[in-house]
Amino acid sequence: MDVAQKLEVLADAAKYDVACTSSGVDRAGKRGQLGATSNAGCCHSFTPDGRCVTLLKVLMTNMCIYDCAYCVNRASNAEVERVCFTPRELADLTIGFYRRNCIEGLFVSSGVIKSPDDTTELMLRCLRILRGEYGFRGYIHAKAVPGASPELLGELGLLADRVSVNMELPSEQSLKLLCPQKSKRDILAPMRQIADSIAEDGETRALVRKRQTVYLSGPRPKRADRAFAPAGQSTQMIVGASPESDHHILNLAASLYKSMHLKRVFFSAYLPVVRDERLPSSDAIQLDREHRLYQADWLLRFYGFEVDEIIDEAHPFLERGIDPKANWALNHLDDFPVEVNTCSYDMLLRVPGIGVRGAKLIVRARRQSTLRESELRKLGIAFNRARYFITCNGAYCGSGAEYSRDALLVRLQKPIEGGRHGRRADRAMPGQMSLFESVGQGAALPGSAAAPALAGCTA
Amino acid sequence: MTAARVHAADIIDEVAYVYDGTLEGLLSAVFEAYALREHPSDVAPEGILQPRLAQRIHSVVADAGRAERVRRGVVERCGERTFFRIVRAAASSDADAGSAVYRFIRYAMDVHRGKGRAISNIAHPAVSRLFELDRSVCNECEKMRQFARFEHLAGDGVQVWFAKVNPRDAVVPLVLGHFVERFSIQPFIIFDEVHDMAGVWDGERRYLVRTGGADLLGSLPQRSAAEVAMQDAWRTFYRAVAIDARYNPELRRQFMPMRFWKNITELRDGEPALRRA
Repeated sequence: MDVAQKLEVLADAAKYDVACTSSGVDRAGKRGQLGATSNAGCCHSFTPDGRCVTLLKVLMTNMCIYDCAYCVNRASNAEVERVCFTPRELADLTIGFYRRNCIEGLFVSSGVIKSPDDTTELMLRCLRILRGEYGFRGYIHAKAVPGASPELLGELGLLADRVSVNMELPSEQSLKLLCPQKSKRDILAPMRQIADSIAEDGETRALVRKRQTVYLSGPRPKRADRAFAPAGQSTQMIVGASPESDHHILNLAASLYKSMHLKRVFFSAYLPVVRDERLPSSDAIQLDREHRLYQADWLLRFYGFEVDEIIDEAHPFLERGIDPKANWALNHLDDFPVEVNTCSYDMLLRVPGIGVRGAKLIVRARRQSTLRESELRKLGIAFNRARYFITCNGAYCGSGAEYSRDALLVRLQKPIEGGRHGRRADRAMPGQMSLFESVGQGAALPGSAAAPALAGCTA
Repeated sequence: MTAARVHAADIIDEVAYVYDGTLEGLLSAVFEAYALREHPSDVAPEGILQPRLAQRIHSVVADAGRAERVRRGVVERCGERTFFRIVRAAASSDADAGSAVYRFIRYAMDVHRGKGRAISNIAHPAVSRLFELDRSVCNECEKMRQFARFEHLAGDGVQVWFAKVNPRDAVVPLVLGHFVERFSIQPFIIFDEVHDMAGVWDGERRYLVRTGGADLLGSLPQRSAAEVAMQDAWRTFYRAVAIDARYNPELRRQFMPMRFWKNITELRDGEPALRRA
C-alpha cells in the first residue's frame, strides 16, 4: 500500500479529533533550518464544513487494542482497513506539505498498537526524525497515550510543542460504560505529569533568565535544550454520547483550567459513526450544544466569568436560543446600562456585543475623545447588540426597547448559524420557524407606539 | 499668540496630488504639501484619481530623500509602530488610501506632540480611516500567509519554489519577511499576478521585482516529478478530513473567500464532491 492511500485512511480516521490549533508558541526561524511558529497560529485551509486545517492531522496507525464504543477505530469494528505509517513516511509527508505552505506542522495521534508504550515509541521515532534529522522548527502537537510510561511521555513533551491527553467523556461512569479499558486514573496521571513538567520547566527557565542576586542561591539549573511542551496542554471530550449536563461539563472544564493549567478544553459534539446499544441511537448531532459550550468556554478564558455565573444547578443546560453572555446580562439588568466613557474594562467586557478587542479599543479611544454613538459605531463593536446595555455620554441608545428581560430577550436571541446545508440545516428548521413567530410578537410588544394605542382603547 | 487657533488641516485647497503608487511617492506628496503650504483635497496614485470639478492636478515625483525626511518626522512624532501602520495602510488598493495617509500625517504632525498619542485617538475621523485601512491590509497579509501555496519547480539544474497569489492589496513586500523566516532553506518566488510584482528569495538575499506575468511564467522550469504526487496527496488529505454531517460551505467561504480559490491547490480544480448523497 502506498503512502497516499495510507494518508487517506489515517486522515479520515483522525478527523473526529477536534483540536486543531497551532497557537501558543513563538519560535523564530533560523537560517538554514526549516520552519517557524507564531503565537497566534495560522489556518492554512478550511474544510467544506468550515473547520480549519492548520496541522497535518493524522493517526500514526488506526490499529487499536481498545474497544471504545463511540470510536471508528474500535477493535471490534471490522469495516475499516487497518494501516500504519512508518515514522519516516510520516516525517517526509509533514516536511513535504510544510514546504508547500499547506500546514503549520504535524498533529500526531494514534490508535493503541500492541501497548501504550509501543505506540508512544512509534510516535517518538517520527518526532525524532523531524526535530533531529530534519531540524524542523514548525509546530508539533502530539497525543499522549494513557498508560504510557512517564519516561516516554517526558521525551514526547520535549519534542512536541503541545501535548494533549483526551478526557474522552465528561464523567467516570460514562467512561466505565463506553470505554471500559480506560480509567480516569490513566487519563489524569499523564495530564498531571505534563502540567508538573511544564511548571517545573517554567521555573527553571525563569531562573536561567533572571540575573538577579539571590541570598544563598544554589547552582544555576542547567537549561534544557527545548522547553517542555511550550504551547501547553489541551484536552477534549465528547458531548452528547453520555447524559452529563452542561453544568457538569463546564465545571469540569473550569476545574481543569484551574488545576491542570490547560490551554484549551475542546468539546466534540457526538456524531454517530458506529452502532452500539450503549450509545444514543438517535441521529441528532448536538452541534448547537457544542456551539454554546464553546461560547461559555470563551467567557471563562477571556471574559473573566466564573463558571457559576454562567450556569447553575437549577438550570443545568445552557439556553439554546441565546448566547450565555447575553443571558447573563439579561439576568443582571440591575447592573446595566453602563456608561462607556467611564465604566471599568472588566464591566465593558460583560456588555453583550463588546468583545476583548472592542473593550480595549474603547478604553484607548476614550482617553482622548468623548465617545458618542457615532464614534462608538466606528470602533467596530456589535453596536446593535450592545445598545441596550450602554449609555454613550449619558444618552441611552436602546432605541425604544422596553428595559425588561422578556423584551430584550426577543431582540437579542439569534439562531445559531449552521449554514443552509447538511444535517444542521434540516434540524434547524423547526427552531427557526418558532423564532420568526416570537420575533413578530416581540416587535409588537414593547416600544412606545404600542403603549399609547392600548391606553387609548381602555380610556 | 491667537486665542482660537485654526488647524492647518481644516483648510482644504482644491488641488489633487498624484503620485506613482509607491510608498516613496506618497511620502514625497506629503512632503510637497508642506513645502508648498497647500492642503490637497485628494492624494491618489496616478490612474486611480477621478478629478473633481475645478480641481487642479499636481503631479508629484517620487524622491527617496524627501520620503526619508517625512519618515523620520513621523517616527519622531508618533513612533515606529505608527509608521508601520502607515506603511500598511499605504499598501491598500482603496482609492482613498493616499488621502487617508496624508490626512493622518497632517493630523498627527499638527495636533499631537506625545509619541503614540495620535494613533490612539481612534474616534477621530483621520485616525479611524487609517485604522480601518491598516486592519484590512493586515487581514489581506494574513490571507497570504494562509493561502499562498508553493510548488516545486525544477529543470536544467535549477530549482525554485514558486507561489502565485492574487491579493487585493499589494502585500507581497509586507509578507515576504514571514516566508523568508520559515523557508530560508529553499529559494522561492512569490508572484503577485494582480500587481505584477514578485518577491524573490535566493537563499541569501531577498528582492522585490516588478515583472509581468507572461515574462516570469514563461521563464520558469516545469513542476518536478514529486510535485504532482504531493499535490495529489494534499488533495486526498483535504478530501479525507471533511465531515459530511457538518457540511457548511457558507462558513468555509467566509474564512476562505472564493477569489483566492484559483491559486489554492486543494480548491483549484473545483471542490471535491460530498461522499454522502
